[in-house]
Amino acid sequence: MQEFMIFIKTKGDHLEGLSEEQQQAHVQKIGKYIGGLMESGKLKGAQPLDMDGAIIHGNKGVFKDGPFNESKEVIVGYFHIVAENLLEATAIAKANPMFEDAEGNIEVRPIKQMEGIN
Amino acid sequence: MIQGQSNIANQIDHLFRHEHGKLITVLTKTFGTSNIDLAEDVVQEAMVEALNKWTLDGIPDNPSGWIYKVAKYKAVNILNKEKYKREYVSEVAHHLQSEWTLEPALKHIFTDKEIADDQLRMIFTCCHPVLSSDSQVALTLKTLCGFNIPEIAKAFLTTESNINKRLVRARKTIKEANIPFEVPVGSQLEPRLSSVLETIYLLFNEGYNSTSEDFPIRYELCEEAIRLAEIIVQSAAIKSSNTHALLALMLFNTARFSSRINELGDIIRLEQQNRSKWDQEMIKKGLTHLAFAAEQNEVSIYHLLATISAQHCTAPTYKKTDWEGILSLYDMLLEIDDSPIIQLNRIIVVSKISGFKEALNQLKRIENDPSLHSYLPYYTSSAELYFQDNQPKKAIELLNKAIKLPIGDSRKSLIYNKIKEYSKNI
Repeated sequence: MQEFMIFIKTKGDHLEGLSEEQQQAHVQKIGKYIGGLMESGKLKGAQPLDMDGAIIHGNKGVFKDGPFNESKEVIVGYFHIVAENLLEATAIAKANPMFEDAEGNIEVRPIKQMEGIN
Repeated sequence: MIQGQSNIANQIDHLFRHEHGKLITVLTKTFGTSNIDLAEDVVQEAMVEALNKWTLDGIPDNPSGWIYKVAKYKAVNILNKEKYKREYVSEVAHHLQSEWTLEPALKHIFTDKEIADDQLRMIFTCCHPVLSSDSQVALTLKTLCGFNIPEIAKAFLTTESNINKRLVRARKTIKEANIPFEVPVGSQLEPRLSSVLETIYLLFNEGYNSTSEDFPIRYELCEEAIRLAEIIVQSAAIKSSNTHALLALMLFNTARFSSRINELGDIIRLEQQNRSKWDQEMIKKGLTHLAFAAEQNEVSIYHLLATISAQHCTAPTYKKTDWEGILSLYDMLLEIDDSPIIQLNRIIVVSKISGFKEALNQLKRIENDPSLHSYLPYYTSSAELYFQDNQPKKAIELLNKAIKLPIGDSRKSLIYNKIKEYSKNI
């Protein structure tokens, strides 16, 4: 078993354009998906992120505030899961019903495992 | 109004005893074992809220659902409000603090399967060997069984402040020892389980043998002990023939609970009990568990005690009891535990087979043991033997000592009657 971070990225608020009922149905679908992950013991955590924030560019100790543009693709939330391998983690990411109603990218990344301390 | 309120309060206490226990269990998982007190407070507040609302509006259609809902929201609020003040290490707490996972998590942790698993974890937490056995029992009753402090005090014939102190100490120890909320695995399971079984048996005996004359509460203690053992045998993670044996033992004894007491609350001896009043369903259940217990080649003290109890339960009459069979079981028992109380019980069986003379001879070997001198059955059974041996004075002397034990009025009056009976033969 290995741990993975799944980052969800969309352009702007992915729920924009959906009617209130559609939004509600959307939330319910995702609730069911998350409940299933919980039941199988695969979910360590999942949180949405607010649509604002900051981007900072650092270079050898010098920081520059970058432009934060939420109409460009930003991370809107993450799932922290356990899976057998990248293949399973990717399958779990694809099962997320979020993209039935929206468009975006999913980044699936294994959390680096410590090799142990010598 | 006050009458109405205390009426509803009683109903809440009794109807929701188990819901109460389940809620505290789930919230202990949520907040972590170092915050058992917080879990208890949340449930208590939810109960008080229910009491206030229901006194005005009447009890709703789904009262336990109502209490669950209130407790859930209180818990979530606490997690959000105190997020930065306390440390909640549990994964559940994490799930309950995220907009995405809150609702699914609330549903998930209150499913029957999760609650059953959590109750098992809670049993191992409350019966952790770092706690004194008194504390283990008190904490188990308070958290898992939903007893309040006055009820626990009544069952143990002690003061409320005493019980309260025990509970405070227990919670503190759990926090300091950092006891995890989990069922031990591997080589740790067996010793931990044996500590759990000891506590359950203690709890049971408190109900079955205590000198308290509050029979409803004592019967509930027996039921609770049975319920806890059932949670363990129902778990797929634990295969334990000892637990089946203990469960069988408790079922056999509880089946005879009500026939041991007459309308006046007096104790009726096995010899005079109306066997048709024994709960045959319960005996049948006990026999099933005894069969499970025999599947593995293990003989614990619970196996032997359960088998002895099964002999009594299945004997058609007192006279037709298989005393020889019971004696050989006691002989095996002595090899595991040669405590004076077991020796005394064995001697009573000896008197049925070899007569009072032989029994008295054997009694003389243990009668100076101080641990018997606070044990009521020692006085009554040995008085009986001395009386049969035509020594009524010695019998009365023993009963006069028994009267001084901390026992209830109905037992005292039984002993006075015996003294009167014996006096006629002086």
